[in-house]
Amino acid sequence: MHEPIIEVTGLSVELGANPVLQDMRLTVAPGEIVAVVGPNGCGKSTLLRCLAGLQPATSGEVRVFGEPPADDARFWARVALLGDEPAWYPGLTAREHLELMGAVHATPRMAVDTALDVFALVERADAVPLNLSTGQRQRLCLAATLLRPSTLLLLDEPERGLDSAFRSRLAGLLDGYAAEGGTVVMATHDEDLASHARQVSPSGVTA
Amino acid sequence: MTGPLASRMPGSETGVRSVRAYLRSRGRAPVSLADRYVTVFGLAVLVAVAGQPVSTLIGGLAGAAEPARMGAGVALVALAMAGFLAAARAAGPVLLPAPDATWLLLSPLDRRQLLGRTARTLITVAVVAGLVLGLGALAVLGAPDQLVWRLLAALALGVSAAVGGMALAVLGQASQSWQVWLTVAIAALVVLAVVAMSGQLRSTLAIAAGAPLSAVAAAVAGGAVLCGLLAARAWAALGRIPARTLVSASTRAGHVADATVTLDPGALTWIAEDNHWRARKLGSRRWPSLPAPLALAWQDWLRLARRPRRLATMTATAALPAVLAQAGVTRVALWAAVLAGALAVACTGVSGARRDNDNPVMARLIGVGRRPALAARAVLPTVLSGVWTTLALAGIALIAGGFPGTEAVGGGSWSGAWWLLGPLMAPALAAGALRMARRSPVDHSMPVLDTPGGAIPTGPLIWAATGPDLAVLGCLPALSAPLVPVNGLGALLAAQGVVSVLVLAGYVLRDGTRKAG
Repeated sequence: MHEPIIEVTGLSVELGANPVLQDMRLTVAPGEIVAVVGPNGCGKSTLLRCLAGLQPATSGEVRVFGEPPADDARFWARVALLGDEPAWYPGLTAREHLELMGAVHATPRMAVDTALDVFALVERADAVPLNLSTGQRQRLCLAATLLRPSTLLLLDEPERGLDSAFRSRLAGLLDGYAAEGGTVVMATHDEDLASHARQVSPSGVTA
Repeated sequence: MTGPLASRMPGSETGVRSVRAYLRSRGRAPVSLADRYVTVFGLAVLVAVAGQPVSTLIGGLAGAAEPARMGAGVALVALAMAGFLAAARAAGPVLLPAPDATWLLLSPLDRRQLLGRTARTLITVAVVAGLVLGLGALAVLGAPDQLVWRLLAALALGVSAAVGGMALAVLGQASQSWQVWLTVAIAALVVLAVVAMSGQLRSTLAIAAGAPLSAVAAAVAGGAVLCGLLAARAWAALGRIPARTLVSASTRAGHVADATVTLDPGALTWIAEDNHWRARKLGSRRWPSLPAPLALAWQDWLRLARRPRRLATMTATAALPAVLAQAGVTRVALWAAVLAGALAVACTGVSGARRDNDNPVMARLIGVGRRPALAARAVLPTVLSGVWTTLALAGIALIAGGFPGTEAVGGGSWSGAWWLLGPLMAPALAAGALRMARRSPVDHSMPVLDTPGGAIPTGPLIWAATGPDLAVLGCLPALSAPLVPVNGLGALLAAQGVVSVLVLAGYVLRDGTRKAG
């Protein structure tokens, strides 16, 4: 039995005296895909932020790779987080953002050309990200996240802005990531995407 | 929206007024009589305090100006006016507060009425800038007779020029053809500055300085008419400014929240920057294979290489301190100009650090350590500020023959070696620029100091000082250079080099552990 990658015990988070998560438990093994599902406001994004170490817990414990998540380079070398849209670097094209990702990480998971092809961005490779459509920008975010090497993928609503055809392709891409030994935890409202994963609700009910 | 407000919503002036009244009633407490009293009292105290030095300054303008300094002075006034126009164009100039842009602009409300408040702000800014320009012009040309009338004429001309220029910038925002005229005006002012600096205009300027009052009055009348025509056209064009130019950047790039919550001047520069890149057609280049931190920092180099005009402008501004020296400014003002210019130039090379500080999502995805990333990002601002300062100091030595006042303390004999301070100051300037890029937004919860001259909010003050403080600290040996005896040059250079490197290294080591955001 492998050591779990994520262990959450008794996690409670209050935001402005409003309880968002209460006594949450979660264990994720390597190679697993977990979909955090539930209605708006049930704490899906908060849970992801806790796992990324960006939201302190009111009580309880969060362990990622056996230790509390730390917002440092060692942690981010293993964890790829896709949450809100990033601020794009001024003056760089879509391709150059991916090139940058490839240049910084010694062993990228795929070549830039492959990533552009897989995420259907070849024709818009020379555009600055702000000139892309919402869905194209989301595909660029996903390309950057999946191009870099990582052990754990934290995705907050990765289906945001994507058309239905690409949503099904995304499920395949995540399956491929998990088959390589990677672990995925994603908050999603997409039923098809969630059906590929073990579903967890922040309220504690496991589907 | 319900009740009486909804019934008064048609796109008329009452519509805008009722919306504003509604927002005021729901917002902060209305301005009380006591608030108005405090404002008026503060202004009265300001007039009382500033009145004496200003009147002394104006009194000192009487008499003919020194012809040798006239050329450089006129060049400075022309460049100031060109800078004013360029700044107006870069800012918009018609901007709406972010919530208005989001909620009110895309509505049936009358656009010109909606923009009325912005227009009043622009006029105020232009009038103040015009008064300063007019005073500057009079200081350059001198007043051989009739000081009061010449002062009034200079102020009127300055205000006409600034208001007319602002109107031109507004027209440029509404239509492309006016944009061309604005560019022509800026280019003409720069050419005027260069010609004036070269000494070609000496006789013309002498005639202008000694012009009879009747000719001055005619010039004022002409200027006022032209300004009035431009302002009227700009007011008419206000309602035609397309919503996309007003709102596109702020809504699409998500700066709305930033600008609303923090009143952050940084957010405005991002809007301008993003607009620039949206309009450009780029070709992707292959990323060089560098170690991870340097590969990350390469983005700043690439961005700079893609803005050759900005690079050329930056290089050209290295001549400004020499023009200032020629125009006869004091040594302190000259050093302040060199420092401010070098810091501004260094700031153009730290956009990556700013981006990651404002929004660390990409930095987390890239996963380079903060300290190595910061160290790699210090290289470009160091190079930029080093080259600029070297050029500026060499220019002062070449054109103006050294720093004013240094001859008496022995600095004059080694004025040719001043440029060596340039590369040695660069690391400290880079540290200052990085600190500016990574500072938090203005903290409006900081206490407000009540002084007899009015309330001073410490939040914006501390925000403004964050960054320049480190640059000044690291450049202290260079700033004390004029006081150093001639045989102390080697020690001075060594001290500057050591202090500068220590400041940058200390900053990278200490701040590299601070969390972004």
